[in-house]
Amino acid sequence: MSKKWLLAITLGTALVSGQAFAEDKLRVGTEGAYAPYNYVNDEGKLAGFEIDLGNEICKRTNMTCEFIQNKWDSIIPNLLAGNYDAIMAGMSITDERKKSITFSDEYKPVDPSLYLVKKGTQLDFDKLEGKSIGIQGATIQDGFAKEKWGAKNTLKSYEKADQSLADVMAGTVDVVLADGEFVRTAVAGSNGELEIVGPKEMIGGGIGIGMRPDDTKLHEKINTALAEIKKDGTLETLTKKYFTEQK
Amino acid sequence: MLEMLPHWLTDWLGPDGMASLAYITNGKHLSWYASVRYTLIAAGFGAILAVFFGLLGAAAKLSKFAPLRWIGDIYTTMVRGIPDVLFLLFFPLAFEQGVEYVMAQWYCKPEELATATGWPLCSNAQWYLSTTEYMVLACFSLGIVYGAFAANVIYGALKAVPKGQLEAAHAFGFPSRDVFWRFQVRQMWVYALPGLSNVWLLLLKATSLLSLLQITDIVSWADRLGAPNYSPLAGLVHGDWRWKYYLVLFVFYILLTWLSEKFFAYLQARAGRGMARAN
Repeated sequence: MSKKWLLAITLGTALVSGQAFAEDKLRVGTEGAYAPYNYVNDEGKLAGFEIDLGNEICKRTNMTCEFIQNKWDSIIPNLLAGNYDAIMAGMSITDERKKSITFSDEYKPVDPSLYLVKKGTQLDFDKLEGKSIGIQGATIQDGFAKEKWGAKNTLKSYEKADQSLADVMAGTVDVVLADGEFVRTAVAGSNGELEIVGPKEMIGGGIGIGMRPDDTKLHEKINTALAEIKKDGTLETLTKKYFTEQK
Repeated sequence: MLEMLPHWLTDWLGPDGMASLAYITNGKHLSWYASVRYTLIAAGFGAILAVFFGLLGAAAKLSKFAPLRWIGDIYTTMVRGIPDVLFLLFFPLAFEQGVEYVMAQWYCKPEELATATGWPLCSNAQWYLSTTEYMVLACFSLGIVYGAFAANVIYGALKAVPKGQLEAAHAFGFPSRDVFWRFQVRQMWVYALPGLSNVWLLLLKATSLLSLLQITDIVSWADRLGAPNYSPLAGLVHGDWRWKYYLVLFVFYILLTWLSEKFFAYLQARAGRGMARAN
């Protein structure tokens, strides 16, 4: 009996490890709380622009995509830890992030960040003082707002972007600075309760897929697929489906 | 699923009622209801471990061997003084990094160890924690923290067992071990249960901290579902509904507390069988 068991276990392990190392699966980390880039839909499944795009990339590279939801603030550490192989989470390509991970070519060009307030709030952006400004932690807006407004205003950092929306509605923060499309989506759906004010801030690069620096093979594969998707118009179709403004 | 409802019910609910019913039974909400399992598992296993650590701690505090007594005292004083939130953050992290340190000695090349600057020490010494591992660590954290409270309760209860009972057992020639397990421990439950029921209720409340360990429990789902949604693509557009979802959690926890009280009353009656009573 023991010999049979040994055989079964050996075979079982071989099978399992064989599957684990097979290259036909791409595990993608995403936040699931940043509509329209990525969100959890009413069926309880991850959906959005990046989920569709990711599946398209997988289709063209003969892989199957598995999306893994991860909190924003630990999304880079968990990529490096091997929890997943790529990040698609509306992440802007920045020099700061390039120190720890590499990026694919961009799949969404720079979209200026926008200021969002409760309807009727008057703000003087030439001399903004004593205001509380909401931003999502560890984002490009976070760094930018600290530098530009940090000295004379209070910054309130949120773990998730939608918490900042709830607080601007409740009047807990005066203004929120966030990604352009995220703000436009919020305003469009807020039934006239929110509006966009002030300047457009050109921060960060375009949005790309984050990968581990030593994953050069995957990097090449993804860039080839992305180029194809851009060339045949699929990216444009997807962008039109999810975004109100195309650039 | 909703098509299976009888006509009189759908008529009575009307289109608005049916829409609400469809909303609270959509996939997102079903995942929320299903996530109750994390809370119940953590509470259940946490409690079992708490009683286990409690018995060990109490036995250590009662020991005739001084160093054991010190360990028992240090355990109950120290762990009771640490906030459960801190312990829940500290213990899993410390355990993970401890394991990774051992893995590093095993799997890393010497030159990697020599040049390592960050953590983990090399890419092979990386232990990835999924929800399952976090659940195990959460159960142990809860068990250790509330075990310290339970140890004190059990220690007091063991001392509350009338001396005469134990002396009589000795007089009948029972060995010390039997006197402890079959007389002292057997009778202490009556004294310990009211205290243990308090510890259990505290532990139950502490299960709301599971989301700190990246476990998508009922609290993090309530957070997600209640957060405002302005994108029609993502489902029903609504403002900040978090208070509604938190209110449901309040009711859920109060319901659990009420059930626990019933259960402990039953246990108390059971443990008191055949015991002399003053009234």
